[in-house]
Amino acid sequence: MALTLREQLLRRKPIVFQQQHHQGHELARTLSTFQLMMFGVGATVGTGIFFVLGEAVPKAGPAVLISFLIAGIAAGLSALCYAELASAIPVSGSTYSYAYHALGELVAVVIAGCVLLEYGVSTGAVAVGWSSYFNELLQETIGWHLPDALSVSPIPVPVEDALGVITYPATGGLVNLPAMVLVGLCALLLIRGASESATVNAIMVMIKLGVLVLFTVIGFSAFNADHFANFFGYGIGGISAAAGTIFFSFIGLDAVATAGEEVKNPQKALPRAIIGALAIVSGIYIAVAAAGLAAKPVEFFKSTQGEAGLALILKEVTGNQLWSTVLAAGAVISIFSVTLVTLYGQTRILFAVGRDGLIPKKFLEVNPKTMTPTYNTIVVSIIVALIGGFVPAVYLWDTVSIGTLFAFSVVAIGIIVLRQTHPGLERPFKVPGYPVVPALTVLVCLYIMWGLAWITWVIFACWIAVVLAFYFSYGRRHATLNHYVDEEEIAEPGGRKRRDDEQ
Amino acid sequence: MTYLVGYSPHKDDSCALELACQFARSEAGTVHALTVVPRGWESVDGSATDGEFERWAAEEGEASAAEALAQLSRHSDVTSSATWVTGRSVPAAMLQQATELGASLIVVGSGTDGVPGRIALTSKTDRLLHSSHVPVAIPPRGYSPEPGSRITRVTLAFRDDDATWRLLDEVADICRQIDAELRLLTVAIKQRPMVTSGVRRNEKLVFANLLRQVAAAQAEAIDHLTAAGVKAATVTAEGASWTDALATVAFDGGDVLVVGSSSTHRLAHVFLGSSATKILRNSPVPVVVVP
Repeated sequence: MALTLREQLLRRKPIVFQQQHHQGHELARTLSTFQLMMFGVGATVGTGIFFVLGEAVPKAGPAVLISFLIAGIAAGLSALCYAELASAIPVSGSTYSYAYHALGELVAVVIAGCVLLEYGVSTGAVAVGWSSYFNELLQETIGWHLPDALSVSPIPVPVEDALGVITYPATGGLVNLPAMVLVGLCALLLIRGASESATVNAIMVMIKLGVLVLFTVIGFSAFNADHFANFFGYGIGGISAAAGTIFFSFIGLDAVATAGEEVKNPQKALPRAIIGALAIVSGIYIAVAAAGLAAKPVEFFKSTQGEAGLALILKEVTGNQLWSTVLAAGAVISIFSVTLVTLYGQTRILFAVGRDGLIPKKFLEVNPKTMTPTYNTIVVSIIVALIGGFVPAVYLWDTVSIGTLFAFSVVAIGIIVLRQTHPGLERPFKVPGYPVVPALTVLVCLYIMWGLAWITWVIFACWIAVVLAFYFSYGRRHATLNHYVDEEEIAEPGGRKRRDDEQ
Repeated sequence: MTYLVGYSPHKDDSCALELACQFARSEAGTVHALTVVPRGWESVDGSATDGEFERWAAEEGEASAAEALAQLSRHSDVTSSATWVTGRSVPAAMLQQATELGASLIVVGSGTDGVPGRIALTSKTDRLLHSSHVPVAIPPRGYSPEPGSRITRVTLAFRDDDATWRLLDEVADICRQIDAELRLLTVAIKQRPMVTSGVRRNEKLVFANLLRQVAAAQAEAIDHLTAAGVKAATVTAEGASWTDALATVAFDGGDVLVVGSSSTHRLAHVFLGSSATKILRNSPVPVVVVP
């Protein structure tokens, strides 16, 4: 019987587990709450705090501190909702998979578009940020840095002058070479099968927190209360706009949510780990933002857009290069690991999409020698390298934020839908305060999205249109659900043995 | 067929000789034990500047060859001989002898430093593996097959690439000649996921797909062999590391493992394939490395 378009767009992927169970494939419940919290901190810090001040402070002024708080609350609420969905649908990670199981194919495709922004575009943005710190580090250690032509994107960014007139001056750049090289190196590591272990994560957390605490201490030593004058001068609109940009730097907290299977008592451990990680992350972010504002006036941040902002502040405050060199070195090391992890995430999410037949099967090919999905990794890396090499970060952050906020809103709606349609589903973790928390999550996410610039919405809408066009021309006809004969084809490898309660 | 065995004096190591005799029983041939002793200085004839050293070396060579012969005499069903030569480099001298004798296999021991029951490469065998034009066989340390035993099963490390496909027919031919079973072994390593990526479970999809690909490639190889009239079994070694994976494979007394040395490229010859090295390190049975 032919499927109508409506039926196909709304059909949900059944939850089926592989019958042929390989021993040792299930994840052991070995993680402690503290470890989980460190995963959250490790995954979150580094995606944005090193560069976001130059973007966010000019939008909200000193009230950027409140923007941080709002973005943090949104991230925390989203992570809680995410945790319920991840525990109710114990399948391969990412919002995309959950949406396919809970809300149907159309929503899954839209979410896949969002997730490409959350992982792919954010890898590009992080690589651009890394490039600025790398150049700063070169300057401070060997006294030379790459010329603008090789370290700045050719696409001009808007600059607002004293009269409020926006101009687009030429950047003098051709390509952001360090960003491209970084992505290339990460790709090589991924092809060889590199991974970040809990130990490496712990070291990275120490480096990141270490340099940020260093920044905070030195920043406060130059405290000037005048910089906080006219606290709300940029208005409510400015606060929510800045929150939108800042939200980017809270992405990663959801990494905690997907580990529900690996902790002993998810109902207790997950919220503790999420809230604990959120407290550490928001605490350090707000301290960094306050220290930055204490040391430098709002005008300073306008001039450091796209540069190694935190290192510049340290240099100006202390008048010597030592501390800014330390900070730049810490940033270079830790942002490198963030790039590696997000690039990895993107390849593995595309792997899941490919398995559902919505993109070509070539993405599923595992190289017999390296035993990693080489083709997938190369394609993703080339695209991410092009983004990092040619698009200024200013255009990337807000796009990443809007995609992620949208995906998280859908997650929150997803758990409400699932509670209605599948009340009997086994949920090792249930979001506390239902239905207030998911409803609040949607509201906060929408509020932040509303504050983003119209151009961001246009870019987002165009991107989703492209994704949908691809779906209607390719994915719709190739979806695995169209033609599978054996449940094994769509079965989830390993994991808890449980079936959808529909069956 | 000539099996050239590297024999060093004073090592009390007969593993390589044992393995060579096992091969010679499986496919009739001569075992030739070779000791390489240091060459003296090139001096003017009659000056005898280095004469004493040369005499000492010759005595060592003679003694070693006699020792090897004594060891070989226990295998009366195998034709064997033992000689010594001088050379500046043991591997180079062995390779030259292999060419002169037309040897089809070089057998060297695992030395006396490695873990018992595992293969260990010494500086000499390592160099030999990298430059040999004939296959090199290495038994694990302390290898002692049943007296009079033969090779009963050949396990080919099979990976879905051109190099191993080329090796497949060659190994199948040998199995047919020596009447040994053929088994294709593919190693599938589970990659460790990134802990903070939030998509850790997706790594399972990758591994499941790898297993699917391995099964398909093995099935294709079996079809290919069946068409050529050879029966073969398959085995997949799964694990989080090469050690874990290879530990899951059952090996018996008459087993040998054959690996290609990943030489799709001339440069690759310099570096033994990383997978080949890992198999060498973790194999409990003799390994034949085919250049």
